[in-house]
Amino acid sequence: MIQLKTLINCIDNSGAAVVECVNVLRSKRPAKVGDRIVVVVQKQRNFGPESGSGGSVSVGAAHKVRRGDIRHAVVVRTAKKYQRPDGSVVKFDDNACVLINKAGEPIGSRLNGIVASELRDKKWSKILSLAPMHL
Amino acid sequence: MRVETCYFCSQPVYPSKGITFVRNDARVFRFCRSKCHKNFKMKRNPRKLAWTKSFRHAHGKELTVDSTLSFAARRNVPVRYNRDLVATTLKAMQRVSEIRARRERAFYKQRMKGNKEKQRAADRKLVEENQHLLPPSERTVVDEMEVERVKARVEKRRKELEMDVEEEVESEELEEEIKAKAPKTKRKLKMLRAGGVEAMDVDE
Repeated sequence: MIQLKTLINCIDNSGAAVVECVNVLRSKRPAKVGDRIVVVVQKQRNFGPESGSGGSVSVGAAHKVRRGDIRHAVVVRTAKKYQRPDGSVVKFDDNACVLINKAGEPIGSRLNGIVASELRDKKWSKILSLAPMHL
Repeated sequence: MRVETCYFCSQPVYPSKGITFVRNDARVFRFCRSKCHKNFKMKRNPRKLAWTKSFRHAHGKELTVDSTLSFAARRNVPVRYNRDLVATTLKAMQRVSEIRARRERAFYKQRMKGNKEKQRAADRKLVEENQHLLPPSERTVVDEMEVERVKARVEKRRKELEMDVEEEVESEELEEEIKAKAPKTKRKLKMLRAGGVEAMDVDE
């Protein structure tokens, strides 16, 4: 249930921490897992102490997006329960998304957190391969 | 597809039943019904709720140490389909459940043993301690003090009655005096009814 103004956690290392949904693409309904949405970066991930001590990789990753950037994203977890084809009902702790570019490739290079296995049906296998675990 | 057990009450969760909750640390919680899910959301401890299996286990109300319980374990070794194996497994399942039912029955009987005697003893004690509530004919233990007290009361009452007879004589004399006074008041009342307007003080 992700719609206009919904704040979503961003679980990749693109530099965004919290993003706000501004549009659900290709659907008039609230977005579900695997749906593509347009977001505005509201809060940047804080890499302050890490970059200070010398983590060039994280600094590079942190600068991929900035606060106020408009990007595309894919919903990977929803707190709203949904039913699977086998009849089971699943819900997650929070709403989470992964930022992607216009071509559909993830901006970040790493995900921290599980993603729903519905992404496979929606052809987001690249995100699935980045994720540590899918359920 | 497999029959899972409920995280909260340990009941089997059949396909299409209940809800699965995935925490952000990838821990999966399966609930058999909304009751269990709601109780989980309220952060209740299943070990403290009497209707859950974990409570019953923790409080010695269920068979906990038994060889028949070890059969229902998750084995992560894939087995190739074999008709004979399936047949023997099914047979074994039936047999195991039979044995378990018998053992559970025995366990229950053992657990309930002596309850009747205990209850009876408690009842006896209750009757013993509350003899004064029973009618005197039903009492088994006669209270000496009580008997004396009753005797004393009866004696007192008898004396009082004797006194009353004497008093009655005195009271009769009094009544006669009152009768002699009575006509006066009557007249005054009549006057009151006839006169009407002015209030009269009868006491004067």
